[in-house]
Amino acid sequence: MSTATATPVQMVNVQIDGVWMQFPKGTRVIEACKQAAKLVPHYCYHPKLSSPGNCRMCLIEMGTPKMTPDRKPVIGADGKPEIGWIPRPQISCAQDVSEGMGVRTNSPMVQECRKGVMEFLLINHPLDCPICDQAGECKLQEFSVEHGNANSRFLERKVKKPKSVELGPRVTLDAERCILCTRCIRFMQEVAHDDVLGIVDRGSFNSIACHPDRKLDHNYSLNTVDICPVGALTSTDFRFKMRVWFLKEAATIDTNCGTGSNITVGSREGKIYRITPRENDAVNGPWMPDSHRLNFKYVADERRIAAPIVRPQLSEFAPNWQQTINLAAERLKKNAGRVAILASARATNEELFLVSRLAKAVGAVVVDVLPRTREPDGMLIASDRNPNTTGAKLLGVATGKLADIAAGIRDGRITALIALGEDATKAGLTADDLAKLDAIVAMDILPNATTAAAHVVLPASAPFEKRGSMINLKGRLQRLNKAVPAPGDAHDDWEILRDLILAVSGSNGLHSIEDVFKAMSAEVQEFAGNTLSRIGDLGLDIAAQPQNTP
Amino acid sequence: MDIPAPLLAKIDEAITHYPASKRSASLPLLHLWQEHFGYVSDEGVAWIAKKLELQPINILELVTFYPMFRRQPAGATHIRICRTLSCALGGAYELRERVAKAAGIDLAAFLEGQKKTTEHGHPHNPGHGNPIAVSPDGKFSMEFVECLASCGSAPVAMVNDNFKEAIDLNKAAELLSVKKSDATTPKVLPPHPREKRVVFKNIDVAGYTPDVECYLKHGGYAELKKALAMKPEEVVDEVKKSGLRGRGGAGFPCGVKWGFIKRGGPKPTYLICNADESEPGTFKDRYIIHQDPHQLIEGMIISCFAVGANLAYIYIRGEFPEGAQILEKALAEARGRGFLGKNILGSGFDCEIYVHRGAGAYICGEETGLIESLEGKRAYPRIKPPYFPAVLGLYQCPTIVNNVETLCDVKHILALGGGAEYAKLGKPNNTGTRILCVSGDVVRPGYYEVEVGSLTMGELINEVCGGVKPGRKLKAVIPGGSSAKVLKAGERYKLKDREIGLEDIPMDFDTLAACGSMAGSGGVIVMDDSRDMVWALNNINEFYAHESCGQCTPCREGAQWMRKITDRIVAGGGTDKDPETLVKVADNIAGKTICAFGEACSWPVQSFVAKFREEFTARSVKPIPPPMPPEYNAAELEKNPTIEAVPAPRGNSEEIMAEAATR
Repeated sequence: MSTATATPVQMVNVQIDGVWMQFPKGTRVIEACKQAAKLVPHYCYHPKLSSPGNCRMCLIEMGTPKMTPDRKPVIGADGKPEIGWIPRPQISCAQDVSEGMGVRTNSPMVQECRKGVMEFLLINHPLDCPICDQAGECKLQEFSVEHGNANSRFLERKVKKPKSVELGPRVTLDAERCILCTRCIRFMQEVAHDDVLGIVDRGSFNSIACHPDRKLDHNYSLNTVDICPVGALTSTDFRFKMRVWFLKEAATIDTNCGTGSNITVGSREGKIYRITPRENDAVNGPWMPDSHRLNFKYVADERRIAAPIVRPQLSEFAPNWQQTINLAAERLKKNAGRVAILASARATNEELFLVSRLAKAVGAVVVDVLPRTREPDGMLIASDRNPNTTGAKLLGVATGKLADIAAGIRDGRITALIALGEDATKAGLTADDLAKLDAIVAMDILPNATTAAAHVVLPASAPFEKRGSMINLKGRLQRLNKAVPAPGDAHDDWEILRDLILAVSGSNGLHSIEDVFKAMSAEVQEFAGNTLSRIGDLGLDIAAQPQNTP
Repeated sequence: MDIPAPLLAKIDEAITHYPASKRSASLPLLHLWQEHFGYVSDEGVAWIAKKLELQPINILELVTFYPMFRRQPAGATHIRICRTLSCALGGAYELRERVAKAAGIDLAAFLEGQKKTTEHGHPHNPGHGNPIAVSPDGKFSMEFVECLASCGSAPVAMVNDNFKEAIDLNKAAELLSVKKSDATTPKVLPPHPREKRVVFKNIDVAGYTPDVECYLKHGGYAELKKALAMKPEEVVDEVKKSGLRGRGGAGFPCGVKWGFIKRGGPKPTYLICNADESEPGTFKDRYIIHQDPHQLIEGMIISCFAVGANLAYIYIRGEFPEGAQILEKALAEARGRGFLGKNILGSGFDCEIYVHRGAGAYICGEETGLIESLEGKRAYPRIKPPYFPAVLGLYQCPTIVNNVETLCDVKHILALGGGAEYAKLGKPNNTGTRILCVSGDVVRPGYYEVEVGSLTMGELINEVCGGVKPGRKLKAVIPGGSSAKVLKAGERYKLKDREIGLEDIPMDFDTLAACGSMAGSGGVIVMDDSRDMVWALNNINEFYAHESCGQCTPCREGAQWMRKITDRIVAGGGTDKDPETLVKVADNIAGKTICAFGEACSWPVQSFVAKFREEFTARSVKPIPPPMPPEYNAAELEKNPTIEAVPAPRGNSEEIMAEAATR
């Protein structure tokens, strides 16, 4: 991984708006301008896709060094090469920088071009921003403010095109809003490798479409909605649900598999409305699968466990939190040395670290997590559908001894079970096994066979409701952030574990999740030197971290 | 789906023409399908996609892009009437009405429906806005199509695959029963003394036939033998020395273009003959292909040898079905005689040529659009850089695209004894002969092959073409296909050394450019003083709005906008801002698009409005009220007896905000 041995990148000199700068060879002109803080407006260009150069919004003035007849650059009075400017505007999205190139991103010619293109893009656009889902995050709106005209000189009838077209089960098209940048088509061809989108008709009537027999039903189809710069492609799920400017955005990670795609969760007043991928080239790039981003409805399920449950019931009132914890601790202490812990590889590192402490406190004979393996999709869905198997292994919670739990219950060595976010009946235990146990303490968010049989049920938090860290399958330490509050009396999972440990053993000293991380980094070498805040929004490659060798 | 064996055999044969990519067979298969079944059904789309291992959308994209393909059945007899400028000048609109009447088609109702389709909505996704009017009995159908490339014998039409020119409006009904034996191609007049026929030497010469025997009898394929004895580089040198400039429109030196090909690379080199002749006003290729195809084939084989191509395609416009058949036959003859195929004439050089039919899209004349079309895609021109055909052309391989006339000239360069001899024809930097196609309001329209620059516009119109029609005066000339800027009678042009009038312009590349227009494709459209320039521009605008591929923003939106404005002016709805808006819109297109179509659609607008301003302003009189001034609120209205209107802000948002801040 060392960069010291890599070949040095060749740098080229480019003049951008009068200032000479250096860029690595192979840099796109539009990217060079961006690096020079001269953002060039664009629609069709996307750094992860090929450049068709069709929107014409990124037109700039470009020049190459003036050459003498013997092909030597002409040097000006300032000692710098003189630039011969090309009289026609050039697109900046399809060319790389070259030595001595000149770029003007804001000359009168460039401004004229942008104004002209903006006008063309809007003459047939429905201008239905008040009811458009893209409003607030629409590039047509953004660039209109900067480069648009305040009034229209278009007196003609607009071209009518199909509206509310179901391109597929999750994507809806409004062809009148479409500016035909073809980002969606190129995404499906170049990234999803499922060439279902195309353009039908011709000229002004061009419209995005798919063949009636072949819908846009790919599991990455919603990425076309993300990269659509306008309101043409909208998510059928999110459509008309919420104005985007009301959404509170939280930067967190996807917990549906071991990839740990980076995501942004958009919520309002504690309700999640949508999840979009957050670009991280070390993990998921700018993409994510539809099945993962739409998997948030369970958080608002009306069956959510929102208050502690104790069986047999103590009174007609729900027990308070401390009572419940104490009852659980009593039951566990009674069975000390005969306890099994079924933990979850969906839990954070902090939670798993506390699981190992809890295991010590109750003298657990078996600790393991429930594996979840299915077919990978060859793209971003890993075969390991647990998000933190790496962390669970590192923290000694994933032991591969899952079968011992059922065996232990059957031969009487195990008389108590702590089920942390997993249903024991999915881990090889039967209803009979559960019935044999003297103590079942379950922590979960939704009812299942284990919570139904449990003596104590502690309401926990969904991944969108808590903080913590996880390690993806590639060894990248990433941060989970809280997007929405947990319902009712549900607690953050680490707090539940901390409370149990305290009630069982009496020792603690952990007051915040930062404290847990600190304790973990002191004990587990891989975390040494890090803090939750140091992980940052993009995570850290802990495999690549220098090891603290003595 | 039951595909009859003969059709299947043809389909399988067509696929073999594209060893590098099956997808290229998309257009040929669509043609075969439509010829057999009458139209391309959704089932057909799916079948072809499967056959070519493509997604159905890949084929649907083509069916809706290329106007020749239909998704609905046409009548048993399908009539395509050309509506583009020269034919419109020749009465195409009247012809359509008469044909409709004869066929029992309610044209008015059809047009109303079409207007709804193109302007009020596009509900049935009919594709390219070219729906077909079918007679109630299903026997006849008709459509207006863009340029059929026979402008000199306007008005023209195609009845099924049979071409009919110089149609007498009084005999419009006869079109309904045109058979193959009635098909005509216009005759070339005997050479005018001012002509120098090289490419057209054998056209309409009594006794000259398009078969190989006749060609050989007249010394055919001798130049090929000569070329094969040379080194390829030497052939390129001769072409360079000849100064031959491309005859397609841009006038780029052919030898320089060939010089861009790097020899000995890992990728194959391709040669493509651009026979998609579609610039309105140009109509020369049909005659070369129909009457003397072997000179083109010989020119192509020599060119392939020169640039190192072993596989070449002739991209012929879809509206030339008979031409395609003639070429196929000629190619088979050449193969039979060993001029094509493996080890040509024992030289060790292999070369194969296939005919590829377009399907009615003007943009395929643009070389990178043509390449995309040949790859089986929508003819979207490519961005340059990086896709210069000589480097990244067909299948991303080095590719040379040359016009029919240019490739014929290659043969004649050798026949005349080399580049230096050829360069003696014409003028320096404007060498050789040029086929000028004259159409519109002249006594003898037609095509005339002359040495480049050897006669002036006035001589061409007055002497060679017999002048404008009796009692009429010259009003305007479009000198190089409809995209060239119009020239106005009586204009004076300042050249470097002198000032000249319209009629003194020598018909060469450089002087026409110096006069603010271009020699383009050699299509000269003449209009006399009976013509309405707003109407003429609207006709041109309609062509470009229809032919814009829609890939890039300025042309997709702007070409249609300009059409809508002139359409409205013609219909009596002109506003006082329209002439200015037209020019501004054109200015915002030209130079900002992916390909030269941007210029092609804006130059007519810029030049017509500038030069015939008074005709536009006379019909653009309705004032547009300014937006409501901000002072016009309830309180002010009650308070003041009168309120003075402030001029409406007409700037960008920054200016308006700055202005608002000062109040």
